[in-house]
Amino acid sequence: MNLNKEPGAAHIGTENWYQQRLSAVVLAVLLPLPFYLLVAVYTGSMDQQGLFDVLDQFVSRILHTILIIALSVHAYMGMKVILEDYIHPVGWRVTLIGSMLLIMSCVGIWWLAIIWAWGG
Amino acid sequence: MSERPKVPERPLSPRLSIYRWQPAMIASIAHRASGVVLFLFVPLYLWLLHAMTGSPESFASAFEWLHSGLGKFSLWVVGIALIYHFCNGIRFLALDAGFGETREIMRSSARNVIIIAAVTAIVLGALL
Repeated sequence: MNLNKEPGAAHIGTENWYQQRLSAVVLAVLLPLPFYLLVAVYTGSMDQQGLFDVLDQFVSRILHTILIIALSVHAYMGMKVILEDYIHPVGWRVTLIGSMLLIMSCVGIWWLAIIWAWGG
Repeated sequence: MSERPKVPERPLSPRLSIYRWQPAMIASIAHRASGVVLFLFVPLYLWLLHAMTGSPESFASAFEWLHSGLGKFSLWVVGIALIYHFCNGIRFLALDAGFGETREIMRSSARNVIIIAAVTAIVLGALL
């Protein structure tokens, strides 16, 4: 039996390329927002009540959810490409990408839970 | 079992040790590096968000951590990574859309985003 040790092309390159750029545009708009909150808290211009006033709104929750989806897509595909380039043994590559996907799913669910939990 | 001819050892991507370093190449590598930094910041951000939206005491401890040496350093590193990844990301989108594809503009735009990152590092270092 002749096993193919090196996986070939997945033939979804164009879709991945497009999704990476589409999510990039969404992130360019939405990703600065959490950093703005972080800076506002850091400088002391926003206290905890002020933070809740921003976060505890339907619009904030929706925007945060869109951010999480775009970030998951973008980060997963970006990290996958990096791992594929630097990790050459196929076993390690598949294991690492799989573990990353698992950890990212847990983090994403936790994040969504935090976002939607306030105010019940 | 293996009857296929042995494949000669050839360089695998990315061929960092083979090509001469160019601004566009540094910009590309730095895009990956800053992306990894931003990726690793997500759990830290979630921990901070969790603390900041918890009890008033946990908000105070998150505030205190942000102002500690490690907190300031984290904000400094992730701030540079964010600004860089943002600017170079727009550069990449422009290139994909067909703008600035000449060799000269590729080099000068790469140089520009690297300079922006360096300025960000200095400004953030002074502000934090």
